[in-house]
Amino acid sequence: MDVPARELKISRRSWLLAGLVTPLLRAWGADPLKVQYDGDNLHIAAPTLHFLNGKPLERLKDGDVVAYVAQVELWDDARSAVLKQQRGRFVVSYALWEEKFSVTQLGSSPRTVEGLSATGAEIWCLNQMAIPTLNLEPERFYWLRFNLRTGNPRDFAAEDQVGISIHRLIEILSRKNAPEIHWGPFEARVRLTDLPRMVGRGSRNG
Amino acid sequence: MRYSWLGCLLMGSLLMAGTQDSDLNVNKRYTVDTVIVSGKGWKTNVSDQNDRISAGLRRDLAALVGQKLNPGILDGLALRLKKEYSAREVSHHILRGDVPDHVLVEFDVKPSRGNIDATLTKFVYDSKQGWSGAGALGFTVQQNTFLFGVASDGDTLNERFAGVSARYENKHLGSDRVNLRFQFESYHEQWNQNTLNALATHPNETSDAYRTRQNFQPTATIALAKPLTLEFGVGFERLQNQYPAAHIETANAVITTLRYHRRFESDVQQDLDAGYTLRAATKLLGTDFVYNSHTLGLHYRIAKGKHQLLESAEAGAIGGKAPLADRFVAGNSSYLRGWNKYDIDPIGGNRLLHNSVEYRYGPLQAFYDAGAVWDNGQPAIARHSVGVGFKESIFSLAVAFPVKAGHVEPIFMMGMIY
Repeated sequence: MDVPARELKISRRSWLLAGLVTPLLRAWGADPLKVQYDGDNLHIAAPTLHFLNGKPLERLKDGDVVAYVAQVELWDDARSAVLKQQRGRFVVSYALWEEKFSVTQLGSSPRTVEGLSATGAEIWCLNQMAIPTLNLEPERFYWLRFNLRTGNPRDFAAEDQVGISIHRLIEILSRKNAPEIHWGPFEARVRLTDLPRMVGRGSRNG
Repeated sequence: MRYSWLGCLLMGSLLMAGTQDSDLNVNKRYTVDTVIVSGKGWKTNVSDQNDRISAGLRRDLAALVGQKLNPGILDGLALRLKKEYSAREVSHHILRGDVPDHVLVEFDVKPSRGNIDATLTKFVYDSKQGWSGAGALGFTVQQNTFLFGVASDGDTLNERFAGVSARYENKHLGSDRVNLRFQFESYHEQWNQNTLNALATHPNETSDAYRTRQNFQPTATIALAKPLTLEFGVGFERLQNQYPAAHIETANAVITTLRYHRRFESDVQQDLDAGYTLRAATKLLGTDFVYNSHTLGLHYRIAKGKHQLLESAEAGAIGGKAPLADRFVAGNSSYLRGWNKYDIDPIGGNRLLHNSVEYRYGPLQAFYDAGAVWDNGQPAIARHSVGVGFKESIFSLAVAFPVKAGHVEPIFMMGMIY
């Protein structure tokens, strides 16, 4: 027998529970990691993740530099082994007069871009984190995991960069008032055949 | 231990390399047009003449003006400000200047909170005298500091003294130029057999071997001029003897110290520290020991890059009969390093002459000590010692050799020397 709608009573406790759980479920579903495929590489994007804000942004606007360490790992579907990984180290500064960000990616040949907006700088960093898909099976599922944190002296102590004063960077990172901040890990289960293709990019792998 | 020192060396090399310019900060393209230092309730432009910041540091801060911003230098200057103000933290901010492409550098001095600090004031191991250590727990409220300490020291004097101390200090008594301090110490003594034997053979040279020693010492320090300070006060010392019967003796003295400190900074950094201390125990203060003690010290340091040369000279003379704790001692971690103080003079002397030359290259050190401790009327025997070691900040590790004929037994010293 059907219960008339006006007799179906929902307790206040249930409403309260629903009110608490609904935003949690929304947050659970709102994983910021978006993955795209250009035929050769997996590219990540995180439109809702903003790491140039809060304390790091305060430090940048005080004329300081902030270092970030990003890591992307590709795991097999069982998450038992890391198949590929990409690590990026970025140093960001903020031009006080132009009000634009400058980012240097550290590595054997450091690259610097200037004149970026906050969002532009975040996108540029993530664009450098592409993972090659060579030897990956298009029909298999993989897990992509992305981590980001502000850098610490250990991340740069072993560096021998051409043309960059790493000692100064280590000193900056050693300051007591610059605690490490973490974002993630963010994960996405991906299959190459399911991924949206990036516009204007062809595959060299066929 | 080897790894600790390697770590110190590595850290030292990193610190020394730390003043390089940063290639990573986009703001280095701007020119500095103003440098401001601000604290709680005050703010100063370093280009203005004022005595809030020492001359050398103010000159280095003012040197930033008109130059392209070099973020690497700012951290070093902030550290120097932190030290000068005994601040909790000194941070720096770069702000837009009044003219395009010019910036303002602001150092923000955060004064130390009224919090509790634990400090180790001495920690030394000597292969002859064993361990010596002292620590203090401090509580600061605005310009008032309270310190409570414990110590067990077998290094400084001919006695091993162990006990507690308490100190109150007001660093701003009406003016930044006046500092008031009350200090109380209470120690139990342990005596080396060599000292007891020497006291038995020289009964009138000094006091008996006392069982306990208490000292209450109120002093005030006045900055007469920027490099010159005068400290004056009174020391009330009570010595409790055990033999032949338990009794108290006093050594009450007027204490005056005149101190001159000057730093000259250019490519070559030079520090000059000179001091004269008079301790006069007079019957007017109801003392059992009547004496006057004069100590003259001159310390000079010259540094360029990793090279440092230190010269330290001390001379002292005591007229009258001073208690054991006030007599001069050599053969410890400060004077005639490498010698055993009980071999030199187990009851100390009333004359001291000492000179030390030390060369440091980074954390490496080599030193040569020469000096004598003797009693008036006795021949002064000059002694020499040489040593090598590592010294990084307060951490020190050294082996010192007395220069003498026959069997030479080196003394190994390790610890934190302040």
